[in-house]
Amino acid sequence: MAAKVVHLALFKEEQIDHAAEAISRLHELGISDRDISVISGIPYSERILGRPMSWTNIGRIGLAGAVLGFLVATFLNFGTPLLYPIRVAAMGLTPIPTSIVVTFELTMLGLLISTFIGVFVETISPSFGPKGYHPKISDGHIGILFSGPAQLDEKIHTALSELGAEVVHEVEEEKLWP
Amino acid sequence: MAAETNLLQAVKPAEHAEEDPREHLMFDPRPREEMNRMVMEAMTTTTRRYWIWLIALGLGVAVLLFGAWGNMILTGIGVAGVRRPIFWGVFIVTFVFWIGISHAGTFVSAILRVFKAEFRRPFTRAAELMTTFGLAAGALYPLIHLGRVWVFYWMIPYPNARWLWPNFRSPLVWDFLAITTYLLSSTIYLYLPLVPDLAMARDRTKGWRHTIYKLLALGWRGTEAEWYRLRKAINIFAFAIIPVMFSVHTIVSWDFAVGMVAGWHSTIFGPYFIVGAILSGVAAVVTILFVLRNTMKHFDYFIRVEHFDALGKLLLVFSMAWAYFFFNEYLLSWYGGDAAVKQVLTLHATGPAAWVWYTMLICNVAIPWLTLWNKTIRRTPWAMFIITLLINVGMYAERYTIIPLTLGHQRSPFDWGVYNPQWTEISIALGTLCLFMFLYLAASRLIPLVPVWEVQEGQMAHTLRKVGKAEVPSVTELEE
Repeated sequence: MAAKVVHLALFKEEQIDHAAEAISRLHELGISDRDISVISGIPYSERILGRPMSWTNIGRIGLAGAVLGFLVATFLNFGTPLLYPIRVAAMGLTPIPTSIVVTFELTMLGLLISTFIGVFVETISPSFGPKGYHPKISDGHIGILFSGPAQLDEKIHTALSELGAEVVHEVEEEKLWP
Repeated sequence: MAAETNLLQAVKPAEHAEEDPREHLMFDPRPREEMNRMVMEAMTTTTRRYWIWLIALGLGVAVLLFGAWGNMILTGIGVAGVRRPIFWGVFIVTFVFWIGISHAGTFVSAILRVFKAEFRRPFTRAAELMTTFGLAAGALYPLIHLGRVWVFYWMIPYPNARWLWPNFRSPLVWDFLAITTYLLSSTIYLYLPLVPDLAMARDRTKGWRHTIYKLLALGWRGTEAEWYRLRKAINIFAFAIIPVMFSVHTIVSWDFAVGMVAGWHSTIFGPYFIVGAILSGVAAVVTILFVLRNTMKHFDYFIRVEHFDALGKLLLVFSMAWAYFFFNEYLLSWYGGDAAVKQVLTLHATGPAAWVWYTMLICNVAIPWLTLWNKTIRRTPWAMFIITLLINVGMYAERYTIIPLTLGHQRSPFDWGVYNPQWTEISIALGTLCLFMFLYLAASRLIPLVPVWEVQEGQMAHTLRKVGKAEVPSVTELEE
């Protein structure tokens, strides 16, 4: 199996079209989307750069949190009065209208906190694509990070340089967190 | 006819000159590197005046807030002016005021984000910070108001030694849950869009700042997956936090409306409180933007007269909405014919404290209506600063009218009373103002107050398109 080398091609923010073209060239050279990652200082949707749709579990994690919040609220509303019933005049022990307030608040709390936990967990989880970073990214540069076979080095370099990229070879993985 | 044509020709170019879109931030782009540098300089530059303010406000918090509160804990709640028949005074008035202010961030950031109002971009974070710090200031009041603050944990939903749970049918417990939900969610909502800017700050700093930003940026690189996750989470938050915001002030209004108190028992209190909260919150955003623009380096690039103009229009709309709800509530209470309610309304308008009621109407209705229709005034930052300060004076007067002035004149005339706020209450109220300003001032030098990536994204989406002989602003839909 041929050794793979990680490259980072940097394009200026106004060269977005060239960056999209560079990804197409990499595809032509046989580098698959799985070995390419785009890093940028602002979000570019997948369709702009011709990339496959990203995927995340955040929505599902949020939904699970909402369900958990709902269950806790149901316990507080209907379980706790039954654990120690205190009857006050003609007031119902487990009235529905007042229960809606606590149910709403705790369901939303569950949804929002678990959404955040989802972001946190997915962000710090290990990822298997090519890694690397350059501080120019937060200055607006668009970075195309990819790993390709060493024997294609020259071809890749020529193709990307023609498009105006500044190509950085063999990017070291920078420890950004914690 | 010829004279008319000449006049039109004379007027039209002036109108066009005034509307030059290049004056707008979205049509005046600068390279990202430069914007980053501007924001970092604003954040890391501290003058002697800054430190004097910070120390003075810190002392204000220590003495006015914690000193007075500590004295009240040691002496007893009798040092406050609340006594029969008025048990809710400045503490509750100020509590409602701060909760109202906290609606600004969510309104500006979430609602305007959902509706893709582009002018929001440079000041969403400044508004979100107001929400977090406003809530932090407001959340102290239930504790202060308790008197015996050391038993505050009785509100937390867990059973006591007799296995007795809090009463979840009580609006006070709803308050606790709603404020906790709103405080946590608005803090996270502040933090999420901040992560890319913290990464930008991480790349440009050394020493303790670098360590903090590195930790808080969660290893952000800006990969497609990271952006996608962030977008998804921000969207969930933007939609979910809006009903939470509505619920918070509705529940605060129910603290009053569920009681059979003349002047409080109203079905319209929920929306009336929400509109008032948004009015005071947006007004406070304008006040803060004026201060930021005039005190922080390069902020005149990010915060422009167009933003005061747009927020001025919003304020006018909300002032009208507030007047509508106020009149609706007033008219039906008056028409209902309940003698006690009529007595309360009469005393509000003609009693010894009628000046509070008139201050409310002048500041919330007369001043905004007489000024904010005028574009020149809306585009004059110092005028907007004064108007928005007055709106918040009016909103404080509204809460004061609703709470102690209403409680003092209830159904039994032999039990009427007058409320005189004591120095402890005034000191604590001023102390929380110091706390809010102190936190804001400190945060202004610790986190990037302008969401640079959102500004740049907006600038990328805006272009000038030639239609006929005119160049018109055009917005490209880049967001998914």
